[in-house]
Amino acid sequence: MRVLRVVRREFLERVRTKAFVIGTVLGPVLLVGLTVVPGLLMSKAGKPLKVAVLDEDGALGTPVRAALSAAKVAGNLRFTVQDVPGDRKALDVEVLAGRLDGYLVLPKGALDSAQAEYYAKNVSNLPDQRLMDNAVEQAFVKLRLAVEGLPADKLDAVTRRLDLKTLQVTKEGSREDKGAGFIISFVMLMILYTSMLMWGQAVLSSVIEEKSNRVLEVMVSSISPAELFAGKIVGVGAASLTQFLVWTAAGIGASLYAGSFATGLNLPSLGPLVWICFVVFFLLGYFLYSAMYAAIGACVNTLQEAQNLMFPVMLPIIGAMVSFPIIMRDPDGTLSVVLSLLPPLAPLLMFLRVATVPTPLWQIGLSIVLLLLAIGFVNWVAARIYRVGILMYGKRPTFPEMLRWVRHR
Amino acid sequence: MNDIAIRLQGVRKAFEGHVAVHELSLDVPKGCVFGLLGPNGAGKTTTLRMIMDIIGPDAGTIDILGRPADRTSRDRIGYMPEERGLYARMQVDEQLLYLAELKGCPRADAQRRLGPWLQKLGLADWGKRKLNELSKGMQQKTQFAATVLHDPDILILDEPMSGLDPVGTNMMKDVLVELSRAGKTLILSSHQMETVEKMCDRVALIHRGRKVLDGTVAEVKAHHGKNAVVMAFEGDGSFLDAHPSVASVNHFNNYVELRLSPGADPQALLRAAAERLKLSRFELVEPSLHDIFVEKVTAAGETLPEEAAQARS
Repeated sequence: MRVLRVVRREFLERVRTKAFVIGTVLGPVLLVGLTVVPGLLMSKAGKPLKVAVLDEDGALGTPVRAALSAAKVAGNLRFTVQDVPGDRKALDVEVLAGRLDGYLVLPKGALDSAQAEYYAKNVSNLPDQRLMDNAVEQAFVKLRLAVEGLPADKLDAVTRRLDLKTLQVTKEGSREDKGAGFIISFVMLMILYTSMLMWGQAVLSSVIEEKSNRVLEVMVSSISPAELFAGKIVGVGAASLTQFLVWTAAGIGASLYAGSFATGLNLPSLGPLVWICFVVFFLLGYFLYSAMYAAIGACVNTLQEAQNLMFPVMLPIIGAMVSFPIIMRDPDGTLSVVLSLLPPLAPLLMFLRVATVPTPLWQIGLSIVLLLLAIGFVNWVAARIYRVGILMYGKRPTFPEMLRWVRHR
Repeated sequence: MNDIAIRLQGVRKAFEGHVAVHELSLDVPKGCVFGLLGPNGAGKTTTLRMIMDIIGPDAGTIDILGRPADRTSRDRIGYMPEERGLYARMQVDEQLLYLAELKGCPRADAQRRLGPWLQKLGLADWGKRKLNELSKGMQQKTQFAATVLHDPDILILDEPMSGLDPVGTNMMKDVLVELSRAGKTLILSSHQMETVEKMCDRVALIHRGRKVLDGTVAEVKAHHGKNAVVMAFEGDGSFLDAHPSVASVNHFNNYVELRLSPGADPQALLRAAAERLKLSRFELVEPSLHDIFVEKVTAAGETLPEEAAQARS
């Protein structure tokens, strides 16, 4: 089978490049950087902040200090309350000297005006400021209730805060999701999208290179254009799958690792179906789009010329990315289901649905069948355009001309 | 007919707007050196591409080695297209082995022949280099190596000498003669008839997709007789243009090639020339294939394409 020789050459040609090696290694490194490292950082979120409380009211200092001392993030105390005497000027000196991270000012009548001020060098530390806000507010509420005469032992029960957990219902049981599910689906979608485009471009530029090297006439005197076409797409596809599988393995590893210890991020564990669909829809998307890229490459002489022809190919991919909010808002709605079944959109949108909600298996199966039919058709058309295009030099053909090539004997 | 390497019968190919090849029939006997000659645009490359099944004929049949052409028979042909092309960033040896494998040649066989061929073509030290590190001439030789490495019975070379320097041309000629002696069938296509006519046993001249004439070189030339004269001299040779014995003159500074008018007496011309010029050479010769071609085409009342007129300069 000579086509296997072509597959082998195309595969090795791709895999031996520095870009491939770097891309394959760098992908997982980035993935780890984006998931595990923030998890680690969150769990060991730096040293607690040294803060002082300047109580101008006189009655609020002690309960607020106690509330701040008890505030925790992921089980760790965030504030160590320093007892620093003095007015604002003295405290400013302490902050500038680095002995304090910041100080809280409770003005006179703060309980009624519900006003407080936090002075610090770093005022963009939002999570800590929110934590402080909550702690002080809770202390104030307790104080107000005490003023209204509520017994001290009932205070904690009355002021208990709502803890709203988001849980996703799946066949394997409910699982907690703190918004990370959305981010992960989105990141995986972006990886799918960029990989499909990147490898389609790889096919495009290698066809253009063969054409400008004029090597194609030598090739087609030995094997048929259809074999050459198939060999290229499968060979480059094998390289892309290699890289994609490495990334997927890294992703699975990262999610297992991140899920194995308690982090504030609390990554949802993705089921095997999601990972399988990740790889399957990548491959299907690759075979659908790279065939189009190969046909375009055969019709042009330079990469610049390819730009105009690429627009119709890019359109559905961009369309799928634009439909992202529709799917996220209502993944099981009729519009979402229809969009995710359309072959040009399916590689991205059906995957997105699988990653966000439990999707009926028949819908996944149907989209795969439709994609396979579309791949068969697109590859047939593309191979016929390719066959004529690779020996045509000079003016770029128009779309009607390309259609004639398809019908040509 | 087992002594025919390639036979074309009534082959025709039309592209949008024009017919590239009209009802072309050719027999290329086994073991001969066959020249497919004609000006640019005559249909040579189209014909070769049809033989290689790169494009299909609209009508007619092509037989290779006694049976209808298919892929197996085409594997017995080495083809060097006019537009040379190889993978620029691939190593020379890997590239050659790959192309031989695509011709169905086992890798081990190709590997065995690779060293001697690189040696013979002066590429021995360049096997591990990438093609784009080689000079233009060496790339040409690599292309030739790609054509012969699978040990084909038939070699089709489109403009074999183009892009080669005089040393390279000479080496190529020697290699081709050697292959011919080894029993290979060679088809050389060129618009520069002089460069290949000395090597060919048989030729076919084609013009605008039609065969003008074919046969052995000796037959073709004998048919046209010795009606050409070459002269080298000192003096003003412009009177030759008006001389009644002369049909046409091609002036090079102190050297002319001329064709005699029908029935003219070469001796009369010699005397006339001797009176006016200091002759160092006067020779009655067979016309060149180019002259025969020009005569045939103009006799048919057709105008000559510009390239044909320029081809010899």
